[in-house]
Amino acid sequence: MILLQNARIATENSPVLVESDVLIVEGIIQNIGTKLAIPEGGRVIDARGRVLMPGMFDAHVHFRAPGFENKETITTGSEAAINGGVTGVVMMPNTRPALDSATAVATVLENAKVRSRIPVYTSGCVTKNREGKELAEIEGMRGLGVKMLTDDGDTTADPAVLLRAMQYATEFGMFFASHCEVLELAGPRALNEGVMSYRLGIKGSPACAEEIIIDRDIRLAHAAGAHVHIQHVSSKLGMETIRWWKSRGDVKVTAEVMPHHLMFTDEHIGDYDTNYKMNPPLRTQADCDALLEGLIEGVFDIIATDHAPHTPFEKAQDFLSAPNGITGLDTALVSLYHHFVEPGKFGWDVVVKRYSAEPRRLMGLPVAAIEVGQKAECLLFDTEAETTFTKEFMKSKSQNTPFIDQTLKGRVDMVILGAEILLER
Amino acid sequence: MARKDLLDIASLHREEIEFLLDQSTSFKKLFTRSVKKIPALEGKSVLMLFYEASTRTHSSFEVAAKRLSAEVTNFDVAHSSITKGESVRETIETLQAMRTDYIVVRHGHPGLPGMIARQTTASVINAGDGAHEHPTQALLDAFTIKEKFPDPRGKKVLIIGDILHSRVARSTSTLLQKLGVEVAYLGPGSLVPKYVPASIRRFTDYEAAMAWTPDVVYLLRVQLERQDVQFFPSVREYHRVYGITNTRLAEISDLGLYIMHPGPVNRGVELCDAVMDYERSLITNQVENGISVRMAVLDWLTPGGDFPKQEAYAAQPRAGSKVILP
Repeated sequence: MILLQNARIATENSPVLVESDVLIVEGIIQNIGTKLAIPEGGRVIDARGRVLMPGMFDAHVHFRAPGFENKETITTGSEAAINGGVTGVVMMPNTRPALDSATAVATVLENAKVRSRIPVYTSGCVTKNREGKELAEIEGMRGLGVKMLTDDGDTTADPAVLLRAMQYATEFGMFFASHCEVLELAGPRALNEGVMSYRLGIKGSPACAEEIIIDRDIRLAHAAGAHVHIQHVSSKLGMETIRWWKSRGDVKVTAEVMPHHLMFTDEHIGDYDTNYKMNPPLRTQADCDALLEGLIEGVFDIIATDHAPHTPFEKAQDFLSAPNGITGLDTALVSLYHHFVEPGKFGWDVVVKRYSAEPRRLMGLPVAAIEVGQKAECLLFDTEAETTFTKEFMKSKSQNTPFIDQTLKGRVDMVILGAEILLER
Repeated sequence: MARKDLLDIASLHREEIEFLLDQSTSFKKLFTRSVKKIPALEGKSVLMLFYEASTRTHSSFEVAAKRLSAEVTNFDVAHSSITKGESVRETIETLQAMRTDYIVVRHGHPGLPGMIARQTTASVINAGDGAHEHPTQALLDAFTIKEKFPDPRGKKVLIIGDILHSRVARSTSTLLQKLGVEVAYLGPGSLVPKYVPASIRRFTDYEAAMAWTPDVVYLLRVQLERQDVQFFPSVREYHRVYGITNTRLAEISDLGLYIMHPGPVNRGVELCDAVMDYERSLITNQVENGISVRMAVLDWLTPGGDFPKQEAYAAQPRAGSKVILP
């Protein structure tokens, strides 16, 4: 039994925090109210001043296993998630071997049961080995609970292949997540084409390389009657394209935005800092502003991190040689608080809705909520404390993040999943 | 202010540039003496680390270092462990262990000299990194211009060609602007992007660019080897639209304009053959001045120095970001 006293409860429906006691018995929220009786033999936690909210859910992470366990494992990845207040994740299928069959998916899910303290879900490939040619054995993966199909990291270049996949898999209740990039336009390097790419002398990737596929894939979904989820949108026109299609109301489209695309611009790359090298690339302040507008407005259904670990050795190369991607699980919630909630740009309701409730709805999972009768899946957040993202603090196996050694306002103090306290600071 | 490295022009202060150009003038006076060598860098070692082909820059640095009495070692990339898959970082660790004083580096990847500089105590000189910077080329260009225009403020330099892929354009335009020179770019729209700095005039029409009344026309080599897609229909069309043809050379001659080019020249592409005999061509002056400028740079830098990191392009503070060392 756990009694959280005087916690300020955040919900997805209102920016107002309501102070209450919450009693958890055998992993279930049994009572919410004021001055609840202290249970005999139970643990009492003084949560005064701290925010209690549902555990976050990250629908876009790379746990690198199997195949790249030097970067991350299911264990280290899920511990990073807990560290950041995340209690459920969806893995991307760009592992080695790629998750393009029931066998590969089953292996990951079995591993996750043993090696992770939180639920780990996985997406499956659209095409075999993510090569964009032959369809993966989609139905077999559905049998294991796979809902999301994506060749993440690679756009399914041939629209005919994607259209056929959409027509086929929609019948099974699955949806498509699109990494949007015209390779011929984007070139090999992850830097926005513009003033900064000129200064740094690197061939940039124009925003239109992303926007063309955003529009193409929504059109394909429209034609196929499919649901398409647009991944990691980075540009203003990309956001506006999604907004326009959503306003038509005749195609099922959802979209996600990453904390780093809301917070950083290509200027942050400065003197070739590879911790800011990611794909899609960081763009301009105007893009950041538009993405924030899109998030508040609801053009973006979810926030996800694209948690992409790489070893220090790989990232310590020069900018062109270093791989794309940054980690995000350890840092996302605190950075969202520091950059947006604390300065009053949006409320906790946006965080709870977009980083907890909607991602679970997207995946067809029950929403975690602080309500009587619900399974306890929540976290306590101290808005007055600070977090310094040292190497020692991070639980991810890799520390390729712009936040390394930064101190931000806010701290995840406690993570509860069912009857278990997963994290306590 | 003393510096450990010369990585770019962008971070150089005007006083430093003026100092280097003054020093270059002094070093150039040595060239008329029968003994051109001085013991300024006696006992110092200079490692030439060229991952890309080079004639002018490589030999110019080598001559400059030898005239200052430094020991020069040419790192033979073609016969090094790089061919066995050794990464640049591993190479640098090896070279650091050898305690060389200077590393002159050319590489196709922008920013790589800076990475080396952060990992070694040697003074690192960027001899060209991808399409980023070529600071000594910029200094020798400025030096050459100052020989003709001792006070270059208000003069106009028109840089023609493949701006997109040119480190020379970036460095030279930055430096000339720091000296008060006006700079404009001319070239096809596919090679002179719209997002070039607003301080630089951008032309895609030759006649309009000439109406801007430049004092110097600076041709760039069309770098066909860097163009992974077609940026213009044909070399013939390029020469006709943007090249200095015989007719245009006659006009340039009438106007008394100087012509510069960093070399090697693609004859018949950016320049017609006749330019070789053009009396106001400064192309060989550039090559000659390269040696004295590089002597000044080598003499100026201080290997092993513990100086603040050069802040090149940090538009805003990046608290906490740093290079991850192994």
